[in-house]
Amino acid sequence: MSDESIPGLSAEDGLTWRRVFNHLAILVAFLTVWEMLTVTGIADELLYPRPTLIIYSFYSLFIDQGIVWRHLWITMATVLSGFVVGTILGISLAVVAGLSETARRYMKPYIIVLEATPRIAIGPLMLAWLGFGFEAKLAIVTLVCFFAPFINTLTGFLSADEDQIELMRSLGASKWQILTKAMVPDAMPLIMAGIRLAMASALGGALVAEFISSNEGMGVLLNNLAAVLQMSAAFAALLTLTVLGFFLYRIMESLESWIIFWHHDDSMRRVARKRQTYWSKL
Amino acid sequence: MIARGAPGRKPARWMVLLDPVFLRRLATHVLIFTSFIAVWEWAGQTGRLNDLIMPAPSAIAAAIWRMYVVTGEIYWHFFVTMFEAVSGFVIGGVIGLGLAIGAALSLTFRRYVAPYAVALNVTPGIAVTPIFIAWFGFGWNSKIALAALIVFFPIFVNSLSGLLRVDRDTEELMRSLGASKMQTFFKLMLPNAAPMIFAGFKVAITTALVGAIVAEFASATEGIGIMMQRYAHRLDIAASIGVLISMALMGLLLFTLMEVADRRTVFWLRPERLEQVSRKRRRRLMALK
Repeated sequence: MSDESIPGLSAEDGLTWRRVFNHLAILVAFLTVWEMLTVTGIADELLYPRPTLIIYSFYSLFIDQGIVWRHLWITMATVLSGFVVGTILGISLAVVAGLSETARRYMKPYIIVLEATPRIAIGPLMLAWLGFGFEAKLAIVTLVCFFAPFINTLTGFLSADEDQIELMRSLGASKWQILTKAMVPDAMPLIMAGIRLAMASALGGALVAEFISSNEGMGVLLNNLAAVLQMSAAFAALLTLTVLGFFLYRIMESLESWIIFWHHDDSMRRVARKRQTYWSKL
Repeated sequence: MIARGAPGRKPARWMVLLDPVFLRRLATHVLIFTSFIAVWEWAGQTGRLNDLIMPAPSAIAAAIWRMYVVTGEIYWHFFVTMFEAVSGFVIGGVIGLGLAIGAALSLTFRRYVAPYAVALNVTPGIAVTPIFIAWFGFGWNSKIALAALIVFFPIFVNSLSGLLRVDRDTEELMRSLGASKMQTFFKLMLPNAAPMIFAGFKVAITTALVGAIVAEFASATEGIGIMMQRYAHRLDIAASIGVLISMALMGLLLFTLMEVADRRTVFWLRPERLEQVSRKRRRRLMALK
């Protein structure tokens, strides 16, 4: 899961009723063909479950048996706690490291090596260290979420405008002021991109952790369903994860337009209006 | 200063080795690194570190030596994972690039492909692992399929945004000079998009590696992922860390290969490569005359 939207589609390309209808028609046609293929036995129903069966599996997973809720809740808890811990750790460590130029320089080679390591691959090691349970999962997600904010924050600080800092220093700004008024706002778009990347990889990290270790969570549910070839239910679980991923993505998107409002026209206008009323009241 | 040689010519790369500032920094780096390792080793030797949790550097080095030299078992696993990652990358790359070209050339196609691409993007690709294993079996195929699935989106998005970022005036000029659609595509859009496409490739190649490794974690009999998992289950942490370092090496290797391919293909963004290529072309043109 990466963190970008489809380019080349502007607002006027958005959904009109006719287009929604066309999209739906294509989707329904596709699903009908699929359904027909499995009903007639051309596609093996054991491996490629019928769309109607998938819909029925949604019903049984969510309402009839209701087993998905517990797993969903556990995965969400892992994702969110790992994300929060990892992001905060990453950003604060990067801030501490980024304040001193010497520290920045000496950390660079290690960061390059760390960037090349597949983070998720540390999973089995974490398991050996922390055992099968929530701690190991939390540690894996934290680790997966740590690097992107850390590296992006550090990069943001590394590419700080030296002239600007020089100017602030010559005007007698304190270190704290330079940090909060120049370096952090300058680095904010990069930091935010790192946070979004972290969120995008958190769900994947949690699933991998559950595949290799745990006994509950969406990863376990998916694994078990696929292992006993209950493919329609596995598909329903997968689509649930799609929806979950979509919500996480949208949340991060609105968070971004709220924090770095100066990169988004509409939020920019909103903030400007608010500040205007504030000043005129003064 | 050490700028010798012809005027206007940049000093050779190795000249930096004679620069005292660089040397001093390098020495500090090495010093920090070795003292860190020494302290770690000392803590391990005196029993201050639990071997099960963090083995001493010498133990890790011994494990690496065993894997690479004594038994040589890692090479086959290394090759398997590399093969899975690269073939997955090629398959996903061809599909991603193909769909991106289609989407760049036709607005209608773009509109209809977009929601599916978004849905694919927000689904954690790794979640498909169990389904792919049921579909493609426990062998190499499921790993290749997973790698192909997760490299698709970064390649698709980067290629599409590269292909769409065309200078309108240049396009207008080409059309007014009577260029066909094919010519516009191959002479303008594709070269223009090449840097973005390669940026997508570079992200994707390491992602492909992650995909192959994760699929191996889930179920496999060979590959570097299962090798690591076996060592970790045996609580042979030194060997696991050795494999982890090998994975990092593999990631670096694949990334570097991509970087080299990028530099060779998109030569016009790098002055020294540009010079080289233009010299070669000039020679070829002279020979023609």
